[in-house]
Amino acid sequence: MTLQQTSAAALPRPARRRDRQRFWQEVAMIAPAVLLLAIFLITPFLLSFWTAMTNQPLVPRPTPVRFVGLLNFQRVFTDPLFWTSLWNVTRFTAWVLPVQCGLAFLTALLLHQKLPMQNLLRGMFFLPAITSMVVVCVIWGTLFQYPSGPLNQIVGFLSGGMVQPIDWLGDPNWAMFSIVLLSAWQAYGFQMIIYLAGLQGIPEELYDAARIDGASALRRFWHVTMPGLRPTHVFVLVITTIQAFKLYTQVAILTQGGPKESTETVVHYMVRAGFEEQKLGYASAVSVILFVIVLLIALLQRKLLRRFDV
Amino acid sequence: MTTYLGNRLLSALFASSALLWSAGFVEAKSVIHVMHQGDPGWVKAYGDVAKRFEEANPDIDVEMIYAPHDAYNEKFSAAVMAKQLPDVMELDAPFLANYVWSGYLQPIKPLVDKDVLDDMTGSNIAQGTYPIDKDLYAIGLTDSSVVLYGNKKYLEAIGARIPKSVDDAWTREEFEGYLEKLSKLEGVKWPIDTFRGYGIKTEWITYAYGPLLESAGCDLIDRKAWKASGTLDSEACVKALTMMQTWVKNGWVVPTSSGTNQFYAEGQPAALAMGGHWFYAEAAAAMKDSIVVMPLPKIGDKGVSPNGTWIWGISASSENPEAAGKFLSFLLKDKDYRDYAKTQSAYPGLKSFAAESPLYAEGGPLAVAFEQASKTAVARPPHPAYPTITSAFMQAVDKIFNGGDAQEALTAAAKKIDQDIEDNAGYPPFDEQQ
Repeated sequence: MTLQQTSAAALPRPARRRDRQRFWQEVAMIAPAVLLLAIFLITPFLLSFWTAMTNQPLVPRPTPVRFVGLLNFQRVFTDPLFWTSLWNVTRFTAWVLPVQCGLAFLTALLLHQKLPMQNLLRGMFFLPAITSMVVVCVIWGTLFQYPSGPLNQIVGFLSGGMVQPIDWLGDPNWAMFSIVLLSAWQAYGFQMIIYLAGLQGIPEELYDAARIDGASALRRFWHVTMPGLRPTHVFVLVITTIQAFKLYTQVAILTQGGPKESTETVVHYMVRAGFEEQKLGYASAVSVILFVIVLLIALLQRKLLRRFDV
Repeated sequence: MTTYLGNRLLSALFASSALLWSAGFVEAKSVIHVMHQGDPGWVKAYGDVAKRFEEANPDIDVEMIYAPHDAYNEKFSAAVMAKQLPDVMELDAPFLANYVWSGYLQPIKPLVDKDVLDDMTGSNIAQGTYPIDKDLYAIGLTDSSVVLYGNKKYLEAIGARIPKSVDDAWTREEFEGYLEKLSKLEGVKWPIDTFRGYGIKTEWITYAYGPLLESAGCDLIDRKAWKASGTLDSEACVKALTMMQTWVKNGWVVPTSSGTNQFYAEGQPAALAMGGHWFYAEAAAAMKDSIVVMPLPKIGDKGVSPNGTWIWGISASSENPEAAGKFLSFLLKDKDYRDYAKTQSAYPGLKSFAAESPLYAEGGPLAVAFEQASKTAVARPPHPAYPTITSAFMQAVDKIFNGGDAQEALTAAAKKIDQDIEDNAGYPPFDEQQ
């Protein structure tokens, strides 16, 4: 950066003018995007900090809106349900991360081979990702049905009737796991595409060189593919974690946070406070806390992964 | 070339909008917006009423706005925020106090035909009345109730006594005794369906399970002091919910994920069903004569049943309240709408509709449901904090049914409700009502 500046200063005058011209051109070009971001993203974001410190209801009420300081935050932190929901998304993330990214990585490796009808296959594997999550939830809701839904029949058949039907969404011990299954299935396509792009970005020469050195397929994978994919891994991990922390749709449609609060998530908790109970101030406080948590995790992940020289 | 096209397009647009504008002057059409929920059959019925209304009143256009049942209140809040309240809106009766308190609705007595108003049953008037000024803010063709449906085959097999009227409803001992016997009966997978399959967001839990608590001698909230602590978390409530929790633990209740048709599905796996009046239409179609309709059991000394349903109000911000009132009168008198309602075993809220509903007449299969309205019906708490009351209660029940501690869950719910009331400074003037 500094190097660029000094070299720019050292340039002869006409060049500097051209540079300035280009600068304004660039400003003009990014201005619309920045303006829209400012209006629709940054302003609401800053406003939510303010709202979080009031007792603002969702819709206007005859009682006045007051500044309440940190009362909302204090209430959020002392509500056991908030901690339950935070624990639940942590659990969800810890499960969905390996399942979803693993599935994405394996299918990407598979589809990167020179298979016949490669494009068709890629399209098929990507299909769940372009299906609306709402539709996926409704379909899986039927698959999960207890006691005689398709999934239970498969389990019963495979185990020869040894395993009793599982109440996938109705049993507090199973509900979150069931949501992990369907979430990973729906969303892995996106990570798969990123991995595919990453795989295609590894120069073929490296593989050729490794082959000449007599490296086996496994060693080529371990010493060429994996290092080549490091930035991809980081990106996929961070983006999947952030997505996982925002878990909402599946829960809202299938379990509404039940049974026994086992699938309550932070976003669902926030929506319920804001829209059902109409406490916008309280919901804003939750959103601010969620933002801080996600930010911290993203920073932590970056730091940890950087230590591994990525 | 392009400029030429653009110019032509512009002038065409200008001409057409000018035309529209002048047409507005000639006809002076007013538009009313009608917001509603409902299953596809009802949606079609409302749409057809709107068409007939437009034919009868060429100077009024009706625009129907559909919002799904589960998210109706969220959609409604969005409409309030956008200052786009419809002229006529359907609303769930227990939310009326909140809406009127917030200033969304206006009294409808001056706007709706007098013969329709005079036609209302007592329970219908009660569900549309705001407790502070005792004025009428909403009206409906229907009301509602919950009864106990039984499968004749199973009840005869265990030799159960079949109550004929509300007065000889099952007692708690009888009820639990039968549940136990049914659980051991061949062919019965679950003794009772309490429709947990409706989920924990549809108002069903508060609507249908609340009366069992009230029958056991407690309530969702103290209806004089408007305080939940000391009432919702009292011993009577804890005992009542622990009782229901035991039914679930024993495997007597159809689980949430088994849907809402186990009573009449193939093999008839559920022997009893604590279901709404609307359930009769689908169940009777599948089960013919083997369905028995009984009053809700008495858990404590007195029987209690729910009431209230989706009714129609006129928003305070409506620019055409007269047209809105005209539409409501038209809707409530519409013959085809009533005919459709009858196919859904709709519970009459107008006397003339009751007279033409043989299902609910003396000796009819649902007569007992109608009897409950006058003898045991208790409305859900008419208080502006109702959205929080019901949300907190449903959450607590879900926790308890899935094995949570009843005392703990109810204490948390009561605290949440009281906090909301406190945050709204007691929802004046409800704080002075006592």
